[in-house]
Amino acid sequence: MLNAIRRFFGEKASGKVAAKRMQVVLMHDRMDLTPDVLECLKNDILSVLSRYMEIDQQSIRVDLEKGKEYTALVSNVHIKRVYRRALPAQNA
Amino acid sequence: MAGKTIVVTSGKGGVGKTTTVANIGTVLAKKKHSVVMLDADIGLRNLDVVMGLENRIVYNLVDIIEGKCRKEQAMLRDRKLNNLFIIPAAQTREKDAVQPEQMKELCRQLAEEFDFVIIDCPAGIERGFKNAVAGAEIAIVVTTPEVSAIRDADRVIGLLEASLLKDIHLIVNRLNYRMVKKGDMMSTEDIVNLLSVPLLGVVPESEDVVISTNRGVPLVHDRGSKAGIAFQRIAARLNGESIPFDNGYGDGFLERFKRLFRG
Ligand SMILES: Nc1ncnc2c1ncn2[C@@H]1O[C@H](COP(=O)(O)OP(=O)(O)OP(=O)(O)O)[C@@H](O)[C@H]1O
Ligand SMILES: [Mg+2]
Repeated sequence: MLNAIRRFFGEKASGKVAAKRMQVVLMHDRMDLTPDVLECLKNDILSVLSRYMEIDQQSIRVDLEKGKEYTALVSNVHIKRVYRRALPAQNA
Repeated sequence: MAGKTIVVTSGKGGVGKTTTVANIGTVLAKKKHSVVMLDADIGLRNLDVVMGLENRIVYNLVDIIEGKCRKEQAMLRDRKLNNLFIIPAAQTREKDAVQPEQMKELCRQLAEEFDFVIIDCPAGIERGFKNAVAGAEIAIVVTTPEVSAIRDADRVIGLLEASLLKDIHLIVNRLNYRMVKKGDMMSTEDIVNLLSVPLLGVVPESEDVVISTNRGVPLVHDRGSKAGIAFQRIAARLNGESIPFDNGYGDGFLERFKRLFRG
């Protein structure tokens, strides 16, 4: 009954919610992208980008997006300003 | 020609591995194949009680491996079918009493004598799992329509593929059609999509499973049970019979998944 009311107000059926959630979870599991790895990846992206532009360090987001035939790694960063010349690469 | 070696595994505990082994083994034996079921759940054996043979155990799997008995001495014959046997696990030993290589050799020997060797794998992905899958050529992964079981199943499928065991089939157990209809349970289609391994069959949630386990008589002896019929159909598919996925016996769903099944 409660479920019927929730459904009436546009909440998705829990079976579909579960399937959707599992799709993301399994993709992360299979890619072995643990939170630590994701954190490292973010830092590396930041350090590369920082040679070319000033970045809002807090703004970076890295997500996996699944299309029908591909999985994309989508990163979103807020740029504050772009340098005229690239800074030298930092410690390797 | 050597028989088929099949491991039934899941990752998550309690999803129905032992129930599956007992029922599939029984159906294949009823079809006149010689069948041996090997309980690889060392320390937590259960196949013996599910088959109602708990009072007859003298020797076990570890005794065979350690050379304390011949394998024929550890085999218990089924109460109804004289071509069906089980080898019980040791109850008071650790999983590391057995090496994967030893399991492989035992399975090889059993496959020379039997048409089907069916291995009941323990839950988990550690040593017991590695032992259980070592000697198998075919894997059946059992899951229930729940997020944790599916996630563990996916992990197990990854490990099986990494160990070069690529002939993998899926059983969805304990499906509740009423809940799927209401949209409150993942459908078989959802699950096959997520795990992307071919479907072997679907077993409905059923009180009959509990009742038959209480009695120690596999469900498939009971003609009226829907879950029993589901197991019959699963075993028939394993036997290479072509059984459609489209009637009301527990595996009715979209046609297009037929092609996912490579019998
Ligand atoms: N389709 C079903 N409907 C109802 N109950 C079921 C069904 N399948 C299994 N069960 C019940 O679930 C419980 C666990 O089943 P089973 O022992 O076969 O799981 P398992 O995967 O072998 O567990 P373990 O990981 O502990 O070895 C049992 O009590 C069994 O009766
Ligand atoms: Mg079990």
